[in-house]
Amino acid sequence: MKQTKVWLVLTLAFSLLILAAACGKAPENAESGTTPATGGKTYSGDVGSITGSIAYTGAAPAAKKIDTSADPVCGQKNPNLSTEDTVVNNGKLANAFIYIKDGAATDGTKIGDYSWTPPTTAVTLDQNGCHYRPHVLGIMTNQKLTITNSDPTQHNIHPTPKNNPEWNQTQPNGAPPIEKTFARSEVLIPVKCNQHPWMKSYIGVLKHPFFAVSGEDGSFTIKGVPPGTYTVAAWHEGGATGTEKTMQVTVAANGSAKADFSFGEATASGNPGLQMMPALDVPMFGRH
Amino acid sequence: MVIREPELPAQDPIVSRSTSGIMLICALLLTLTLAWSLYDEAFGQRPWKGIQQQFVSRYTRYLKSIKAQAGKTEAEVKESPEYQTLDGEAQAALEQVKPQIAEIDHKVTQIQSELDAVTDPFQNQRGKLTVINYNVEISSGGAKERYRRQAQAKRAELVEVDLPAADGSGKAPTQKMNYEQLEKLFNDLRDEKARLLGQKADLLKVPTELGKKRDDYLKHYMTGLGPSQIDGLIRKMDQFDYSILPHQISVNEFNIVDRCEVCHVGIREPLDLRAEDLAPGGPGKKPDSLARAFVSHPNREILQIHSPDRFGCASCHWGNGRATTSEVKGHGRHKFWLWPMFEKENTEAGCQQCHAKDRVTQGADTLNLGRDLFYQRGCMGCHRYEGFDRETDALGSTRQSISQLEDQITANQKQIRLDEAPPEGTSDEDAQKMLAQSEALKVTNSILAARIDQLNLQSKYLMQDQKKVGPNLKDVRLKLRKEWIPVWLKNPQGFRPGTKMPTFWRFASTDDAGPHMRDADGEQQIQAIAAYLWQDSFEGTIPTQQRGDAGHGKELFENRGCLACHSIGDGDNKIGGTFAANLQKVGEKANFDYVVRWIHNPRERFAPYCPKEKRDLTPDDYAKHNLPYVFDTELHSRCPNDGAELQVQNMTVMPNFRLSETDARDIATYLFSLSSPPGYESAAFMDSPELREKGQALIKQYGCAGCHEIKGFEEEQRIGKELTVEGATPIERLDFALLTKKAEEGIDPLNLHGASETTPNAPPKEEKPWYNHKGFFEHKITEPSIYDQGKEKDAKDRLRMPRPYLTPEWRNALTTFLLGSVGAEGANVPQSLFYSPQDSRRQDIQNGWWVIKKYNCMGCHQVQVGQRSVVMDLPFYQTPEGKDLLPPRLTSEGARVDPSWLLRFLHDPSLSGEKTPAENAAISNAEQAAKPATTPQPSPSASVSPAAKSSPTPAATAGHLKAQPGLDRNGVRPYLKFRMPTFNFSPNELQTLVRFFMAMSGQQEPYIKEPLQPLTEQEKLVARQMFTSGTPCLKCHITGEPTHDAKAIAPNFLLASERLKPEWTFRWLLDPSQISPGTAMPTGLFRKDGDRWVINLPNPPASANEYHDDHARLLVRYMMLMTPDEQRRLLATAPVAPAAAPQPQKAAQMTLRRRRDETTFNRTRRAPRATLAESRSARTVARPGM
Repeated sequence: MKQTKVWLVLTLAFSLLILAAACGKAPENAESGTTPATGGKTYSGDVGSITGSIAYTGAAPAAKKIDTSADPVCGQKNPNLSTEDTVVNNGKLANAFIYIKDGAATDGTKIGDYSWTPPTTAVTLDQNGCHYRPHVLGIMTNQKLTITNSDPTQHNIHPTPKNNPEWNQTQPNGAPPIEKTFARSEVLIPVKCNQHPWMKSYIGVLKHPFFAVSGEDGSFTIKGVPPGTYTVAAWHEGGATGTEKTMQVTVAANGSAKADFSFGEATASGNPGLQMMPALDVPMFGRH
Repeated sequence: MVIREPELPAQDPIVSRSTSGIMLICALLLTLTLAWSLYDEAFGQRPWKGIQQQFVSRYTRYLKSIKAQAGKTEAEVKESPEYQTLDGEAQAALEQVKPQIAEIDHKVTQIQSELDAVTDPFQNQRGKLTVINYNVEISSGGAKERYRRQAQAKRAELVEVDLPAADGSGKAPTQKMNYEQLEKLFNDLRDEKARLLGQKADLLKVPTELGKKRDDYLKHYMTGLGPSQIDGLIRKMDQFDYSILPHQISVNEFNIVDRCEVCHVGIREPLDLRAEDLAPGGPGKKPDSLARAFVSHPNREILQIHSPDRFGCASCHWGNGRATTSEVKGHGRHKFWLWPMFEKENTEAGCQQCHAKDRVTQGADTLNLGRDLFYQRGCMGCHRYEGFDRETDALGSTRQSISQLEDQITANQKQIRLDEAPPEGTSDEDAQKMLAQSEALKVTNSILAARIDQLNLQSKYLMQDQKKVGPNLKDVRLKLRKEWIPVWLKNPQGFRPGTKMPTFWRFASTDDAGPHMRDADGEQQIQAIAAYLWQDSFEGTIPTQQRGDAGHGKELFENRGCLACHSIGDGDNKIGGTFAANLQKVGEKANFDYVVRWIHNPRERFAPYCPKEKRDLTPDDYAKHNLPYVFDTELHSRCPNDGAELQVQNMTVMPNFRLSETDARDIATYLFSLSSPPGYESAAFMDSPELREKGQALIKQYGCAGCHEIKGFEEEQRIGKELTVEGATPIERLDFALLTKKAEEGIDPLNLHGASETTPNAPPKEEKPWYNHKGFFEHKITEPSIYDQGKEKDAKDRLRMPRPYLTPEWRNALTTFLLGSVGAEGANVPQSLFYSPQDSRRQDIQNGWWVIKKYNCMGCHQVQVGQRSVVMDLPFYQTPEGKDLLPPRLTSEGARVDPSWLLRFLHDPSLSGEKTPAENAAISNAEQAAKPATTPQPSPSASVSPAAKSSPTPAATAGHLKAQPGLDRNGVRPYLKFRMPTFNFSPNELQTLVRFFMAMSGQQEPYIKEPLQPLTEQEKLVARQMFTSGTPCLKCHITGEPTHDAKAIAPNFLLASERLKPEWTFRWLLDPSQISPGTAMPTGLFRKDGDRWVINLPNPPASANEYHDDHARLLVRYMMLMTPDEQRRLLATAPVAPAAAPQPQKAAQMTLRRRRDETTFNRTRRAPRATLAESRSARTVARPGM
């Protein structure tokens, strides 16, 4: 009984509602045009930069010589081939990938909500001396990646992404360059070569151009950053699936913010003079 | 004016009383009733009208909102260069023929106008002629002649025709023509028109095709609907028919009438409608319940297979498809409706209704999980469910058939005796007849004997495949710490959270919350059961073992594949599968020696069981018949006393990993290093004979033998209710006991759907009645004891069902499975709608699933596209390198391999082939060594402290365990650390599996190999050069040459001819990532050159350039015809590591390397394998003589 009552009331309400809707026809079209504008917003105005250096505390693991007996050509071309997972010079760590992970410009727009056009120039990944050059590289989504083989032997390039399609392409000695793009951002995509198991490279793909790889002296600069407050992350391949540290940085117009990171034994926080969050140990793949 | 008549009584009702008041009320009531009934007719009985109006207005609004975007996407595609090119081509082609078309069109118009002018006069004349001719036919004599002349006159008659002038001036001068001329002109014009139109079609062919290509491109790259399609939908909404009929599904054949779509109007709309799209406040706003009802069906794929036009809606979802007056009625949530709609989380129960015979139903993950649980967690140990206990059921019927046939043979023999000795006085004729009959019976008997042979073989196979969910409890004395048994019985979940062993709440004592329903004598029950198990167990000794290398054991445990079934670690640190036990605390309960023996070969039974004598045999039984005490599934499976097929192996699904004794010991050592036994209370009571007797009764009562093998209970029947059609049990017959009222009121003592569970952000849950099947099942499987609460019962009548371990997901899966288990009687559709595939392919697949699931093949392998194996998610295999170490993907196995090879491989994954005499000798030596009881008493493993391993003394007894055929060998992929174990499948299961894989890949059975064209010398040369240039194949593929293989990561080409199918191999060469994404084999080895594939090299070998056939096909043939000589030759030329001295190795890698070398050694030199194992054991086994 209760149910019928409810229904009666409901139907009455409905019929009234429909009646009302039928009488007042106007509001229908008013809302139809409100499609949210996605992307398309570009930034123009003053920019700043983020600079810093990546330190490595404690004793760095010594580079190990690689056994290249699987392919003698490699040993001939690059007799001193050794592991590159932790390259430290004077306590500074090379090959760390630093990027703006999150945050917003001063006007409140999230960095990911701007649309950035990828540069027309391609990024090159070269295989020279049976290792990937560079060891770590950054690239924008849909920016062209050119892969070349400068070795007198054959390679196969095998990235193992999670958010982009996986592929494994052979590139014999003398073959033309392979051109690829990645459509989605992903930090970072490990690249291997099944024929030379020691060969590794990491590709960071981002929707914006604010990334850098630390140089031999551990330093990096990210230019052209719209003023704002950002979470800057530094990623390094140490650990099973890499280690990532983050800190908060405020970039002023035409200013340069500093973001120093430290990897290694003691996870010391960087420059204490700046506004920052405690560095966090976040395994990289857990997030993607 | 009123005339008063005094005679009348003063109180005359006619004058003094007025009924107008009543009349008024009645009239009002009538009017009201009429009004109400009109209203009810219009609205009350048609609540859906309002709903439909809502839908139309909301949907129209949504369509309008997306139209702009759709136009944009269409424009975007149209702007793409590909579209532009296609469009350009189409336009150009059209442009090219345009002048010709125009000319033709012009001509056709002209001809048409002439034709128009001619047609009427011509047809007129023809009609008149027909009449005259008819008159000729029916008249006779003079009249006939007359008519003939008339016809001639007609033919000659001149008719006026206004033929338009050819110059197109529009003038139509009148011409005169006779019939002949008219006819000719008409036919000529007609033919000319047809010719021209044909010409036009030919001309337009190319432009039309190009135009279609362009439109197809647009269709392919347009996501969603185009603006014109959306306009069409809006128009459809404008003309919406607010009534039932156009929205009703009616299937006469199955008596289905469903009106669900009267309200759920959006179900089959071409757009994917989400609730947000149809929110009352406009698209993207907060949806209400109506918006949620308007969404499109979440699974379009399933609607394609089960078209609503054929199946309706309620056939799957249940509910009352005919009801339209209210939601409650429509959804069948009425106490008088037998098929209430399934709750969302139980939707797949509807699949079970028709797919009850499936083991795996595609797309019904929850239901499949429910079936898995019912099978794996031991529900079927107590509850029969048709089709589930396949081996036991089949074994029963086989044994029955055998005894029937035997009876018939005996009867025939009697008749034969009678027939052969006819009574005195029988005529010769009759005697001869009887002799003939006896002869016939003898032959019949031999035929019957042949059938018995077959059935005996079947029963052998079935016994081989018969498994138990729980371990063999005849082994408890050999395997367990005595004191641990009562501890376990008391609280299995406490010792091993998540274990399959359910909690027997009648005697278990648990600390967890919930009703405590323990029997008063609970503690005694535990003691009694423990006493029986302990006293009725195998007595004897098993080889004692020394502790090994725990570090190496850990590596093996993680690498070999143990974690596909077992888990390790506790709490949040648990990794591995849930198919088998968590092994974290094995060290607390088990005997080390037993565990080593178990890991070495879990199928190795302590003593064979004879189902005929219903007892376990002893060595004496064999000695009596002068037979060695040897039993196995191959040659020694019969009882020495009566020839019956024995149970010769442990009834476990755990396979043999072909580990050496040392490796088995290392793994056991690792497991024992994870925990050490606490001080247990003494359990002297377990030797009491009185307790034993009580225990026997209890084991029978609780049905322990459903899952375990227990002495004296081998032939025990299931104790639980059959559940095949449990979902169709009338609700009154589900025993809610004292909870009926609470269930109706929605008071849930278990708080199963409390806010804390599953849906944390759900609106505050109002009390929901659970007096229904779902509620009963959920509560029953979660806490069976609640239905015993407060009841006054004798102990023997109390509920026996124990409490299984269930996660909320599992509970839901099992409930779904049970809800759908309704059989033909309880179904809401006729049985003819049930799924029962008649084609052998589908049958093979379903039969195969039983075996695949039984042995958890999917723990290691991907069998189905998109399915993840357990090992894929292990932490060790997440890195790019780790992924290369995973077991192979089997999604295209049937297309890949030769079925007869697959059969051999599944039988013996080490592919070590037939045993050589030397091997057989070695094995029998080992048997001899194991037979005498020279091994010391098994020591309680507690006394072997971890310290003991650091002080090894030379072994007195070595090589205790039986030799391991195919030791340490992977048949196809020796480079993998994972090992495909030996499952000891019976021929039945081998065949089922092979057919499964073939059927999954849609392969023909039987497989008849296509002959391969032999290679010419020239072709060999070309192939050889291609093999070694560019990406040299042998760089990664193993060859059997140890130094080379140390770095190889792909199978041996020598296997190809027997193993692979050429067509698959060809496709594999072209793009392996299409078949096995993530494979180490690279793409791009060949490129397309016209119709053929050529090797993709910047500078291919000269011979390849001159070879003009398909390069990939040549390589396939070359591979298939590979010989060891050819391979050696390749190796010699291949620019790979020369077979020189091994490179200096780092210390850490040394062990690994040595093992690998040993493996390859075993592989290359087969004969001394067994003896090698022996000597290795002898070398490494060392134990103190105690």
